[in-house]
Amino acid sequence: MNETGNLKIKFTLNGKPIEYMVKPNWTLLDLLRKELSVLSPKEGCSRGDCGACTVLLNGKPVNSCLVLAPQIDGKEIVTVEGLIEDKEFKALKETFIEKGAVQCGFCTPGIIVSAVALLREKGNPTVQDIEEALEGNLCRCTGYIRIIEAVKQAAEKLQKTS
Amino acid sequence: MGYLEELLVKEGLSLVGKRVSRPDALDKVLGRPLFTADKLTRGMLWAKIVRSKYPHAIIKRIDKGKALGVPGVLTVLTAEDIPGENQIGYAIPDQPLLAMDKVRFVGEPVAVVVAENEEAAEKGAELVEIEYESLPAVFDPLEALKPVAPRIHESGNIATTTIIRKGDVEKGFREADVIVENTYKTQRQEHAYLETETVIAVPEINKVTILACMQSPWLIRRMVAKVLGYKQSKVRVIELPAGGAFGGKDDMIPMIAPIAALAAVKTGKPVFLMFKRDETFEASNKRHPSIIRYKSGATKDGKLVAVEIEIIYETGAYANRGPFVLWRATAHAAGPYEVPNVKVDGKLVYTNRVFSGSFRGFGDPQIHFAAESQMDELAAKLGMDPVEFRLKNILKPGLTTTCGQVVDQSVGVEEALRKLAEKINWEKRKREIEEYNRESKRKLKGIGVACAYHGISTSRGAPDWSAAAVIINEDGTITYKGGICRLGQGSLIGHAKIVAEILGVPLSYIQIEGPDTDAIPEARPTHGSRGLMTGGTAAADAASKLRRNIVRVASEMLECKTEDIEIKDALIYVKPDPSRNIPFSEAAKELYVRGYETAAYGFYRAPKRFFDPKTGLGVAYGVYVYIVNIAEVEVDTWTGQVKVERVHTAADVGKAIDPDLIEQQFHGAIAQGLGLTLTEDIVFSDGKILNNNYTDYVIPTVKDRVEVPTVVLVEQPYKGAAFGAKGVAEAALIPTPPAITNAIRHATGIRFKELPVTPEKVYFALKKRRGEKS
Ligand code: FES
Ligand code: FES
Repeated sequence: MNETGNLKIKFTLNGKPIEYMVKPNWTLLDLLRKELSVLSPKEGCSRGDCGACTVLLNGKPVNSCLVLAPQIDGKEIVTVEGLIEDKEFKALKETFIEKGAVQCGFCTPGIIVSAVALLREKGNPTVQDIEEALEGNLCRCTGYIRIIEAVKQAAEKLQKTS
Repeated sequence: MGYLEELLVKEGLSLVGKRVSRPDALDKVLGRPLFTADKLTRGMLWAKIVRSKYPHAIIKRIDKGKALGVPGVLTVLTAEDIPGENQIGYAIPDQPLLAMDKVRFVGEPVAVVVAENEEAAEKGAELVEIEYESLPAVFDPLEALKPVAPRIHESGNIATTTIIRKGDVEKGFREADVIVENTYKTQRQEHAYLETETVIAVPEINKVTILACMQSPWLIRRMVAKVLGYKQSKVRVIELPAGGAFGGKDDMIPMIAPIAALAAVKTGKPVFLMFKRDETFEASNKRHPSIIRYKSGATKDGKLVAVEIEIIYETGAYANRGPFVLWRATAHAAGPYEVPNVKVDGKLVYTNRVFSGSFRGFGDPQIHFAAESQMDELAAKLGMDPVEFRLKNILKPGLTTTCGQVVDQSVGVEEALRKLAEKINWEKRKREIEEYNRESKRKLKGIGVACAYHGISTSRGAPDWSAAAVIINEDGTITYKGGICRLGQGSLIGHAKIVAEILGVPLSYIQIEGPDTDAIPEARPTHGSRGLMTGGTAAADAASKLRRNIVRVASEMLECKTEDIEIKDALIYVKPDPSRNIPFSEAAKELYVRGYETAAYGFYRAPKRFFDPKTGLGVAYGVYVYIVNIAEVEVDTWTGQVKVERVHTAADVGKAIDPDLIEQQFHGAIAQGLGLTLTEDIVFSDGKILNNNYTDYVIPTVKDRVEVPTVVLVEQPYKGAAFGAKGVAEAALIPTPPAITNAIRHATGIRFKELPVTPEKVYFALKKRRGEKS
């Protein structure tokens, strides 16, 4: 910590090591969006209710608006920008587009990050597994029908190719 | 033949009517920076609105001193800093941009702090000192109507009234064998789009540019110009895709863009203004709460003879869109049925709560909740099946609506109802459910139907038009500049399909651009389910003009008659001899070389309508979209929990430009209707909203999802629009609440007349019916 109370933290962001001076009260979401211009996590509520800001922290989906920047010191952060070559992400990308699971798209990156974490953990998730994985991700546009279908289909695709 | 007639009979369509995968989906999946908040850059100032903490008070004094002392705060703006008019009322000039002498709801904007960063803006906003003298407030519309009630506006507490007098209701009720009379109440609903209201204002020399999520670019331009005292040409509005809108951003962005613009012009710097989630809950428009007294009469053979309806819509502190919302409810009050005698009286009432406004359905969900509950109660009294009873009264070509309008075309509600009932085997399903209920102890099932209609675009003879532009680029690609906003509904994708179909190119040739007021003439707002129909028709007009040029230049190049030219998949060929052909791109280049026009504006104009304000009779809307929902529910009689198992839906869409995009709209609309029916409700204490977040205000999650297994699209084309297509974005929400409550009635025998139907209400109603003490 320096005399202004700022802290230097080290973490990896989408595979790249980063060192950054942060204020102790910054959230991870602020750090990503306002400081580092990583814009796929969206701000929907800033209080952990909507899931639009979901990112992977050491592989686990978290609401980045609830994580303080100093907490990620030494950790690994992954956002959609870092998932482009990931096989689960690729499958989800295809099925979300095919199934028409995207309307306004504001919830989409957060939902896909949650779904990537699910598919990495469970190759063959049940509908209930999907519901549980996505329960923290609100969507006001789609009624979720296509989202469930898209995740299901992505899982099937991955099963076939593996 | 005009271009619209040509399109109606066009054969061999390659895009229109087919499902395509959305061209906007990839960017959204990748989380690319599409949204307004993604455009925030360093150097932009932050604006923070200082809001009233009182529901009703006189502003005695505003002290900016302490706020100005906060490092980073550049200025604090109040009503007196407004160079133009401090007036943003939509229907009635009753609403200031920044409160002047009085505040009328908790959350009303009073001042705006502009600072170098977010923290300073927030700190400054806390330190603006406003001295108030509290006034007695009124929170209930029925209280507000009493003569002793505190006056919210000088004109009194009634913002507007509406009437319809069709036939003679007294005579009608004399002919009735059964009469049903009930009072229905609906609540305040929040749009709850994931992206809060966000605006960027960029000052330029004698000009200001607005970038934002929005629904009404040209209204925003008018409002900004009015507040700044600018000419319209000095304001440029650029639409960015919205993270959901549902009517909320139709009203809200024109109310806040002028604040950002004012801050930008005063400081000379770009300004960023974004609502926090609690601000959206507390200070943005809501669905109008309603109280509807509804009396209906029918003969014993099942003919509706009269309806008499009193509607009260609570508009909150300001009229905003209320007069139009109330009018829409009034005009649709009898539902999609022919009723010979109709009397409707509507009142729009002020209270000291956050103002109401546009929300998917625009007044129609409330009135259909009442109308369609009544239909089932009448059917029950008559001992008739609800579908059968509806079919006896349903609108058909040649019959008249609530306000006496003869509907002459695209009236597919009967077909929709018949087909849906048949497809899901209504009779059999109903019997199965009744049998199940006889055996079941704890869980009861029910099935319910509701029909609805919804006039497209604006009403009451108000002029209506739209515009669009198409440019053929030299390499054969097409730039489509739409006037309809991107809310996630995909209207512009529909337009692009129309343009591609007409020009004979694949959809991938079309670059879709959202509205920019400096690029195309006014296209009017994206509301009232008008986007596809009015904007798509303008797009078709522009594309048809350019097709004529392409055909002409190609006939010169291929040395044949223009009638012999055909274009498909970007290949232009001579019909009798397809081996004589040229690629679209070559013809495009030749347009430039030979001096043909390579760009065109297209326009849509609504047919002239007539309306008599004295009787409420006339041609209210050019055309209506019709929709039928059938809901299946399961009620847990131990807990009062209602599970909506599925909703089947059928609609007359005129022509499905894209059946899949339509289905997407149905899914979302039904989900919002589900929330409206079962959980969503804004709760106040002394005028302050208590549930100002997603934890306390419950919208459906993935676990509450309702399956929509049956979708029937009826296509009775509307001749006034490209390919006959009508809009559908709002439709499926409207009959969702009554379909569900009719299903609950079928399951339990209990009629719920107030929304939301919470487990508590169900539990206690069941308990009361069992005759137990509560
Ligand atoms: S912004 Fe983080 S959960 Fe909503
Ligand atoms: S697509 Fe709009 S919130 Fe999910």
